[in-house]
Amino acid sequence: MTVLNEEQQALRDAVRELADDKIAPRAAAIDQTGEFPWDVVELLARQDILALPFPQQYGGLGGDMISTLLVIEELSRVDATCGLIPAVQELGSLPLLHGGTDEQKQRWVPDLAAGKVLSAFALTEAGAGSDAANARTKATRDGDDWVINGEKRFISQGDVAGLVAVFAVTDTSPEVVKAHRHMTCFYLEKGTPGFTSPRVEHKMGIRGSTTAELAFADARVPDANRVGEIGDGWGLAMKTFERSRPGIGAQAVGIAQGATDVATRYASERKQFGKPIGAHQMIGAMLADMATRTEAARQLLWAAAERIEAGDPHAARWASMCKLFAGDTAMAVTIDAVQILGGYGYTTEYPVERMMRDAKITQLYEGTQQIQRLIIARDLLASL
Amino acid sequence: MAAIWAIGEIADGQPTKLTLELATLARTLAANSGGEARTVLVGAGASAAGPAAAAYGPDVLAVEVDGGLGDRPAAAVIAPRVAELVAQRKPDFLLIGASNDGKDVCGLLLGLTDLPLLANGSGVAWGDGAPRVEMSTFGGKLVTHSTFAGTRGMVIVRPASVSAEAASAPGVVETVEVSVGAELPAVKVTGSVEESGAAAPIEEARIIVGAGRGIGSPDGLKVIEDLAAALGGAVGATRAVVDSGWVPYGQQIGQTGKIVKPSLYVACGISGAIQHKVGVQTAGTIVAINRDPDAPIAEFAELFVVGDLFEIVPRLTAALRARKSGSA
Amino acid sequence: MNIVVLLKAVPVVGTERLDSGLLTDRSVQLEANGNDEYLLEKALKLTETHGGETIILTVGPAGSTEPIRKALAMGAARAVHVADDAIRGSDMRATLEVLAAALRKMQPWDLVFAGADTSDGQGGVLGAALAVRLRLPYLSYASEIEPTDAGVRIHRINLTGYDILEAPTPAVVMGTQLLGAPRYPSLRGIMQARSKPVEAWSLADLDLAPAAVGGGAATTKTLDSAKPPERAGATFVREAPDEAVAKVLEFLAGRRLI
Repeated sequence: MTVLNEEQQALRDAVRELADDKIAPRAAAIDQTGEFPWDVVELLARQDILALPFPQQYGGLGGDMISTLLVIEELSRVDATCGLIPAVQELGSLPLLHGGTDEQKQRWVPDLAAGKVLSAFALTEAGAGSDAANARTKATRDGDDWVINGEKRFISQGDVAGLVAVFAVTDTSPEVVKAHRHMTCFYLEKGTPGFTSPRVEHKMGIRGSTTAELAFADARVPDANRVGEIGDGWGLAMKTFERSRPGIGAQAVGIAQGATDVATRYASERKQFGKPIGAHQMIGAMLADMATRTEAARQLLWAAAERIEAGDPHAARWASMCKLFAGDTAMAVTIDAVQILGGYGYTTEYPVERMMRDAKITQLYEGTQQIQRLIIARDLLASL
Repeated sequence: MAAIWAIGEIADGQPTKLTLELATLARTLAANSGGEARTVLVGAGASAAGPAAAAYGPDVLAVEVDGGLGDRPAAAVIAPRVAELVAQRKPDFLLIGASNDGKDVCGLLLGLTDLPLLANGSGVAWGDGAPRVEMSTFGGKLVTHSTFAGTRGMVIVRPASVSAEAASAPGVVETVEVSVGAELPAVKVTGSVEESGAAAPIEEARIIVGAGRGIGSPDGLKVIEDLAAALGGAVGATRAVVDSGWVPYGQQIGQTGKIVKPSLYVACGISGAIQHKVGVQTAGTIVAINRDPDAPIAEFAELFVVGDLFEIVPRLTAALRARKSGSA
Repeated sequence: MNIVVLLKAVPVVGTERLDSGLLTDRSVQLEANGNDEYLLEKALKLTETHGGETIILTVGPAGSTEPIRKALAMGAARAVHVADDAIRGSDMRATLEVLAAALRKMQPWDLVFAGADTSDGQGGVLGAALAVRLRLPYLSYASEIEPTDAGVRIHRINLTGYDILEAPTPAVVMGTQLLGAPRYPSLRGIMQARSKPVEAWSLADLDLAPAAVGGGAATTKTLDSAKPPERAGATFVREAPDEAVAKVLEFLAGRRLI
């Protein structure tokens, strides 16, 4: 079992205080307006929270994986949209951190760590969701540049990001496609001619986190913006998921914990039939299950993080397991939270209906739960 | 047979209300202990202020201070003189008011005399040959009664712990000459600035209307002030409101503000976090008006009105006015 | 300018576990006494602007490192922690002796900052006593603090506004929350705090005898303690505004409050 060290505890407590004081009061409004909370980005940047996962030599804090997960969890506990901000900042930066040259990291990481520029990760397309390898966005070499054409869909913070990791097909020959070496990763800066964000989605939850369509019409980038070798794209994306999936796991654990906290408090105060409803066995049992599952999800998350950071050969399986379990936990727990609050839980007077709507996405993005199961099963069988 | 001294303060040539409360308390304790009480007044005009204090019972020891020390803060002048008097006449117990100057005087006396100290007293009674001081500690979780291990000590007494009551027989005023061996290290008052909006001390108010974050903006204060006026009460605020600059610090209620004991406290748009609770929990009656029925203030309010304060408060004000004018 | 900030470690408000007026649970979570952090914030702003160090001084049980760590994370340069079991149960006089001894040992410094309030309501007194012990000027109830050529100047709040006070340094200053809300420690600060020095001193380091402090030497004693009378739960009024107001009036009239 993981025990947090003193520094991790201090970090968690600091973010918790910040979340309770400054972010919780904004949560309802962010959900209602669906506006991306730039004020929260500034707050997180000022507190160096966005710098945590980046290497110190480029202006980051070099925090360990559990520390970054603690941050995401504590923020998500009060607002899943805000918890996603550091998660996406890391997601969009991971291909660069894994595959970029020192020059590229010097060029981009300092601003990412400082929160001056937001990043995004553009792999998914209208016809390439779970089947991400079926992407069609194309990058064609033209002298020292590449010209990109195509569309991406469902890109978290894709419209607000200043720097987007775009995965484009650079070779369509069948053997290359079969070997998963047909995609290459390019980083595009916002404002590049031909690169636009035509629309954002209207969503069930995490409504403040703008989810964008991206369009590329002869968007030109220099080869210096290519990250990794030609054909490395798919591998970079898979390597990214080893870290980004636990990030979503942390978001899910945070949502679950927030919902459990609200439901527990409500159950201790709301009286029916002469006593607090928490004292009635059916409600008590629900609370017990919620708390137990949330803690189990958290422990699995931390166990996965330790192994992934240590370079475990089954890192992909661990990443999928913790995301799978946490996402399903968040959904179950938030449904029960609404149930416990009854009619009040269904109204916007309490945050649990928002938490339930927010929880659903953790079963969908960063690889659906079905994809996670495929990955786990495949790894189990391959390990025989 | 204990000698009990109330250490008083002079403001605008008169003893403060807190001083009169302390005088009353000293008189009561002296009567119960079979001892004697004095009220000590130090400052320019002490003798002139004497009779007003003496009306509350104990004889007054008035110590005039010459003009030469006029550029120092009051406590720095008062404390060495009180310490000198204490050394000469050896009273057993000192009662000092929990005003800013009072606490300064007490702290300086602690350094000068080494007398034991019980701070934050909300009540003092006489029992078993010693003062029995009531204090609320740990954020109000505990009410303790304490006393001194020895036969002497100082007590800091909060405002409104007792009601000032004139005595049937006033005391006499004795003007005393006191010379101190050494003044305290120099601190000069080089200027003074008046700021608008200084209200009467809210610790003395019988009714207080509190403004919390729910008022939304400084404009939201208007409805609070109107309600306070209609109730004949004062306006208080939470730390959040004061930190936002909407209300002066002197009206802040809570752990890092004032502890108040009004008969009625109406909390508008206040969540009731424990730091604020500490400031009002001994109020007689607490009425909360808040949109969020889940707010912690529900735990210690008697009546909780669920609703938008901007709908409720103006209607309440109007109804109170109508009632007062007899047209209810 | 070097500023020593007195930081009192108190139980997180609302979580105290008590027995005859003393904290029983050593593992209870501690935080800095609410007002002290405002003084710390001001000290940090002053040393950031004028140079020098902000140093923390805490007297408290060995476990009270949490508030110190946070203060270091906010930007204090180092800390002195006087921790000795014999101090437990000390009254104000004993605490005064320990603080005075520690401050003497920490010299030279220019200013000592103390808070106006403590969560147990007993604040705003020790600073004055310390100033007398150390034979230094005492400036209280500051809403603003700034250095002058030869010393320090403060705004001392009063009922109608404030007075301007000046004194040479070194001096003891007691301040209010009007000095400005404390910053949240940045994550960078939290990680840097790890390597900042925290010196632990015992009574022996201060040449103080255990018999001079602690419960045994206390000059005051608690006779009894009890929870304040419980309040019954609130009655909720959920009607529409006009009806709700009528109910409030009825309630207030019934209590003879109006």
